[in-house]
Amino acid sequence: MGDAAEEMTRAQLRRGLRVATLLVALVTVCGQGLSNILRHLDAYPSPLAQLAAFAVLAAVLAGEAVLLLRRRSWGRLRRAAVAVVLAASVLSYVTLPEGRTSTNTDWLFGAAAWVGLVVLLDRPLRVAVAFLLAHDLTALAHLLMVDPNRGDLARFATGSVTVIGLPLCVAVVATVLNSLSAASAASQREIERVRVAEAVAAESHRRRQQRLAELSATTIPLLEGLADGSLRPEDPAIQRRCAIEAGRMRRLFAETDTVANPLVHELRHCADVADRKGVVVELDARGHWPTPPVAVRRDLTEPVLSVLATAASRARIAVVGGADLVSVSVVADSGEVDLPDPVTPGVHVETLNNDDTIWMEVRWQPSPQPAS
Amino acid sequence: MAAEPAAGELITVVIVDDHAAIAAGVRSWCSQAVPPIELVDAGDRLADVWTGPGAAADVVIFDLELVPRRPDFGELRRLVDNGRRVIVYSQHTDDATAIKCVDLGALAYLTKREGPDHLVPAIRAAARGEPYTAPSLSGALIADDAPGRPRLSQRETEVLRAWFVASSKELVAAKLNITVKTVDTYIARVRVKYANVGRAARTKSELVGRALDDGLITLAELNETAT
Repeated sequence: MGDAAEEMTRAQLRRGLRVATLLVALVTVCGQGLSNILRHLDAYPSPLAQLAAFAVLAAVLAGEAVLLLRRRSWGRLRRAAVAVVLAASVLSYVTLPEGRTSTNTDWLFGAAAWVGLVVLLDRPLRVAVAFLLAHDLTALAHLLMVDPNRGDLARFATGSVTVIGLPLCVAVVATVLNSLSAASAASQREIERVRVAEAVAAESHRRRQQRLAELSATTIPLLEGLADGSLRPEDPAIQRRCAIEAGRMRRLFAETDTVANPLVHELRHCADVADRKGVVVELDARGHWPTPPVAVRRDLTEPVLSVLATAASRARIAVVGGADLVSVSVVADSGEVDLPDPVTPGVHVETLNNDDTIWMEVRWQPSPQPAS
Repeated sequence: MAAEPAAGELITVVIVDDHAAIAAGVRSWCSQAVPPIELVDAGDRLADVWTGPGAAADVVIFDLELVPRRPDFGELRRLVDNGRRVIVYSQHTDDATAIKCVDLGALAYLTKREGPDHLVPAIRAAARGEPYTAPSLSGALIADDAPGRPRLSQRETEVLRAWFVASSKELVAAKLNITVKTVDTYIARVRVKYANVGRAARTKSELVGRALDDGLITLAELNETAT
């Protein structure tokens, strides 16, 4: 709940900060910077170089404006943009009159810092700090070329506080905002993981309870009887019940498998129990049929389980199906078998005894589905 | 070649199968059959079916997949076109392959799961030029929904289906309250209908001609087209 809304809020905050930084940079470069260039145009040995540096900074800001409108980030262009800004800074200082560092003539001192920050706003704090230091050192190098007096140094120091300090504050805010949203995303993922794990646990618990409930009526009394000695394992009737229960449990486990043909899959599991007793079981299926619901599949496989439980040596299971009828047959040398009645409507059992061979057929007629 | 063997005359069979164990098993079943059947083992050499003792055999037991996963329908067609009576013995259980073999004129199609209970009667039927329908082929026929399949009556479908399911004609007869002979008649009628829509071959004309002569099926029933 509200995850999307939170994420949207964070995105809006980041965008707002980006817009604000761009506006500050625009005012610093195009307002203050340009007016200082024009006012001191005579003081520069090469006014064209200063104008070129200005054009470079203005172009980078224009690029940021375009990216902002398209909601994109600098990406692979970022390194080039930073290099261009630093190059403009070098160009401007090389053509700046000596001793004019950090005065109104040095228009770029404040301007380039903001332009660099615009490009580096969504990078880690140390990158922005490194850029600001590089920019400040360029200015210092220019100052130290001539022998500076104490006044010059003091002016540079106070200038630097503003030039580095203000953009740095903005960079810190941006970093905090970024780390907040990263932490929030991580905790969101963690919450999601815990929720999924909880849901899985609850579902498997429910399924186990259901299985236990299904086995409690038949399997558990048998196991209890065997445990307290009231049922004798050598009794053929008890052995038969054990074989049926083993088949039911195998069927129960197979019911949750995801397979293309659940009915045949479950029959194969039922047959496997008899197979292990040494009964030769054939399983053959023809045709295509709609997947019957679990309750119907149980009714269709139950007679097979009962017949297989007493089969002496051989059994044949055959499934024939179509859109309107599914029939499961089992033929085995089982003798007489008594059967539980089918639970679901639409399922019918027919039995034929011939000597010691039993042929049992279970038919299910799916209720007509609305044509799809 | 492939002349009608007189009653009581020894039936000879040639088997083409690259698995020695299959040939040995079939040889054992044939020698234990009453009366015994003589077997010529061609191994995986198709040439031995066409020359020597194999050429004179009444029935050919043909492994459809001498090359794995490449059923040799061409060779089956050549054998049938030369008037050989062919039983296809295959590890394939898919319906389309079974029906294709029948359409090409094989008298019987058996899967290798079907043992002497079906192979020996199939050999005797094929030696007489008659088809034999094993349960697996019955299953393929009831599941057949190709356009152009012959129209089967409700009773024919019922018998085929019961035969596929129970794999015992006595059980089918008991369940449907008919005699075993009637069960055979219904199954034979289905095969005649299939032979009639299949490709022209000597086995087909023999089959259809005799069915008409014996009154197993009428011309009108044969000419009912597929649904």
